Amino acid sequence: MEVQFGIVGKGYVIMASDTNAGRSIVKMKTDEDKIKALSPHLLMAASGEPGDTVQFSEFIERNLRLHHIRYTHPMRPQSAASWIRRALADSLRSRKPYSVNLLVGGYDASTDSPHLYWLDYLGTLVEVPFAAHGYGAYFCLSLLDRYHNPEANLEEGLETLKRCVREVQKRLIVGLPDWKIKVVDKDGVREINLDL
Amino acid sequence: MNSLVSKFSSSTATSQLKQAKKHLQQEEEEYGEPAMWGSAGGFGNMAAGIPSFQIPAVADPTSFLRLHTDDAADPSCRIKIQHGTTTLAFRFQGGVIVAVDSRATAGSYIASGTVKKVIEINPYLLGTMAGGAADCQYWETYLGIQCRLHELRNKERISVAAASKYLSNLVYSYKGMGLSMGTMICGWDKTGPRIFYVDSDGTRLKGDLFSVGSGSTFAYGVLDSGYRWDLTDEEAQELGRRSIYAAGHRDAYSGNSCNLYHVKEHGWTYLGNYDISKLHYDGPGDVPGSAGHGYGYSERTAGLSSANDPAPSTENAPAVSVQA
Amino acid sequence: MSIMELNGGSVIAMVGKDCVAIASDLRLGNQALSISSNFQKIFPVTDRIYIGLPGLASDVATLRERFRLRVNMYTIKEERELEPETFAHLVSSTLYEKRFSPYFVEPVVAGLSKLPTSTPESPKFKPFICGTDLIGCLNFAKDFIVCGTASEKLFGVAEGLWEPDLEPEDLFETISQTLLNAVDRDAFSGWGAVVHVLTPDKVITRTLRGRMD
Repeated sequence: MEVQFGIVGKGYVIMASDTNAGRSIVKMKTDEDKIKALSPHLLMAASGEPGDTVQFSEFIERNLRLHHIRYTHPMRPQSAASWIRRALADSLRSRKPYSVNLLVGGYDASTDSPHLYWLDYLGTLVEVPFAAHGYGAYFCLSLLDRYHNPEANLEEGLETLKRCVREVQKRLIVGLPDWKIKVVDKDGVREINLDL
Repeated sequence: MNSLVSKFSSSTATSQLKQAKKHLQQEEEEYGEPAMWGSAGGFGNMAAGIPSFQIPAVADPTSFLRLHTDDAADPSCRIKIQHGTTTLAFRFQGGVIVAVDSRATAGSYIASGTVKKVIEINPYLLGTMAGGAADCQYWETYLGIQCRLHELRNKERISVAAASKYLSNLVYSYKGMGLSMGTMICGWDKTGPRIFYVDSDGTRLKGDLFSVGSGSTFAYGVLDSGYRWDLTDEEAQELGRRSIYAAGHRDAYSGNSCNLYHVKEHGWTYLGNYDISKLHYDGPGDVPGSAGHGYGYSERTAGLSSANDPAPSTENAPAVSVQA
Repeated sequence: MSIMELNGGSVIAMVGKDCVAIASDLRLGNQALSISSNFQKIFPVTDRIYIGLPGLASDVATLRERFRLRVNMYTIKEERELEPETFAHLVSSTLYEKRFSPYFVEPVVAGLSKLPTSTPESPKFKPFICGTDLIGCLNFAKDFIVCGTASEKLFGVAEGLWEPDLEPEDLFETISQTLLNAVDRDAFSGWGAVVHVLTPDKVITRTLRGRMD
C-alpha cells in the first residue's frame, strides 16, 4: 500500500511519498526514494508495480535529459507531462505494459507558475491543484478540498501536507511512518525534512 | 331424529355451525393469524420470539445464499441490494451528531435522491442505514419494538449498549445468510451520549466517532481534522454537514442531500435536510454554525492563483504575454 | 466494472434550425472516486466541427491527438477546409484501424456542412450530427445523438424535450436541460457541464453550473 501526495501552492509544488518497499508480507526497506528529479524544475513520484516504477522513471528521466541536451533547454512541465502520458498510453497497448501511477510536479519558469499533473497507468492525464495516489486519495482528497489554498506559502503548504500524512497514519490500516518530501519552485528542486 | 343421525345431518343448526367453523379454520391456515397481516404491521410473527423467515429449501442454505446474494466482491450475483452510502456519527461535549446522505444507487443509476437513512427507533435512539436498505429498516424497527417492550417490562429505558447488543446478537444469528448492514446505534442513556457501531458480520464497537459506507473515507478526512471533544453545538453540526458534503462531492455513490440530527439529553432533534449542491455553491444558509459561503473548493478558491508574479525584468526585453 | 465506465462521462449532440449543439459533463473519475471537475471531452476540429469523446480518458487524449494530426494532414494535402461528413468517415476509419484492440471511446461529431449552393458572399450551411460505436460504425441522426455512461438517461430526457427547428438559444436551453437532468440520475457523470452551440457565424460556448455530487 503506497501513498503519494502532490500539493500546489504559491510558486511551488510539494511532492510527498511514503518510503516503504515491501514484498509479500515483508518490509524490505524503509527509506526508498520514490520521487525522482527529472530535470532542474521537474519532479515525478511513481508508484505501482515494483520494478516497473524504477524502470519507467529512468526511461523517462533519460529521454527528458536527451531532450535537454538536444535542444539546450529542458521541457516545460506541460510538455513533459504530455510526453509521459503518451509513453504510458503506448505502453498500455504493448505486449508488456508498465503499471505505474505518477504525479508530475514542475515549475514553469517561462510563465512563473507551478503545475501538478495526475497520471495513471492507463495514460490518463489531468492537471490538478492537489493530487493523491494510492489509498491516501480516499482519505485526503476531501481533506484537501477543505484545507488546500492555492496561494499558501511553503510553510502553510507543508502544514496542509502534515494534515494529510497524519490522516493517513491515523486511518489507513497499514502504518506509514516514514515519508520523503520534495519541493520544486523557481530555485529548483530540494528535499525537505519535516517532523511529521 | 336420534343423536347419531343428527350428528351427520347437513340441515340442522349445529351442523351448519360446525361447517362454518371448519371453513374459518381453513381460511386461517391460508392467511395466517390476523396479527400477521394486520394489526402488528408485519411484525406479527414475532409473538413466538424472534421472527421466522422462509429459508431456501436446499441442503446448506447459508452457502447457497452467500453464492447468490449481492456482494462487493461478486457483482454477477442474482440478488441485488442497494449499496453506496455515507453515514457518520460522533460524540462530543454537547451530545451526539448524526449525519447521513440520501442517495440510493443501483449500479450507476441513481435510483433515489431522497432516501431516509436515519431510522428513528424511538425518541432517544437513532439508527443509521448503510448496506441493505430493507435489512436496516426492518431490523431497526424490530429493535424499536424490543426497546419498547424492555421499557414496559423494566419500567426504565433501555441503555444504548443493551439495544445495540440486542441488534448485534440478532444479526449475528443470521450470519452468512446475506444480511448486509453497517449501522450506528446512537442515543442518550443514564451514562450519557453513546454510539455503537454494529454490522452484519457481528462486529459491535463502542466509540466516539464512526463513519460507514462507500464515502466514509472522505467523511473521515474532514471529520478527523475538525473533531474535538469540546466542540460547541453549532461547530459540531457544521462539522457533520461539511463531512457529508465532502463525501457527497468526491464519492459517486453518495450525495443528493444531507440529513442532520442532534441527540441531546432529552432525545434527538431533527435539524434539517441540506441539498449537497446548494452546500457546494451557497453553503447551508442561515443556520447556526454556518460559514456563510459555499463549501466547494472552486467557490472557496475562485480568483486565487498559484502563479508567481512575473519577476521584474532587469533588461529592456519586450514583454511576452502567455495565455493560460 | 466495464472499462467504458471506468472514468465516467457523457456527451450529447442535437440538431436545431441552421445550428447544432454539442454538450458534455466535466467529470473525470476513477470508478467511484471523482478526480477532476474540469476534464474536457469536447474538442474543436475546425471552426464548424466539434467532436465529443466520452469513454476511457486515456483514449480520449490519444484520439484527440490522432484526429488533430489527421485533420492537419488532410488540410495540408487538400488545401481546403474539412467538411463534417468527411471528418465523420475519418473518425470511423481511424477507429476501425483498431478493430481487434479498440479505443474505448464512442465519438460524437457535430458540425455545419457547407451546402453546394453556398457561395463566399452568402454561405449556406446544413446541420450535421453523427455518432459511432467504439470500432467506427457510423450512425447518422436527424435529431440527436447520445453517448457515455448516462446515455440511457439522456435518451429518455432527449426524446421528451427535443423538437425540430429550434433556434440557437432554444436549442441551448433544450440541450442544457437534457444533459443536466440526465446526469443527475447517473453516478458517473456530472460535476459541471459545458455546451457549444454552432451557428453559421459563431460558436457559443457556455459552462453550466451543475450538481457537484
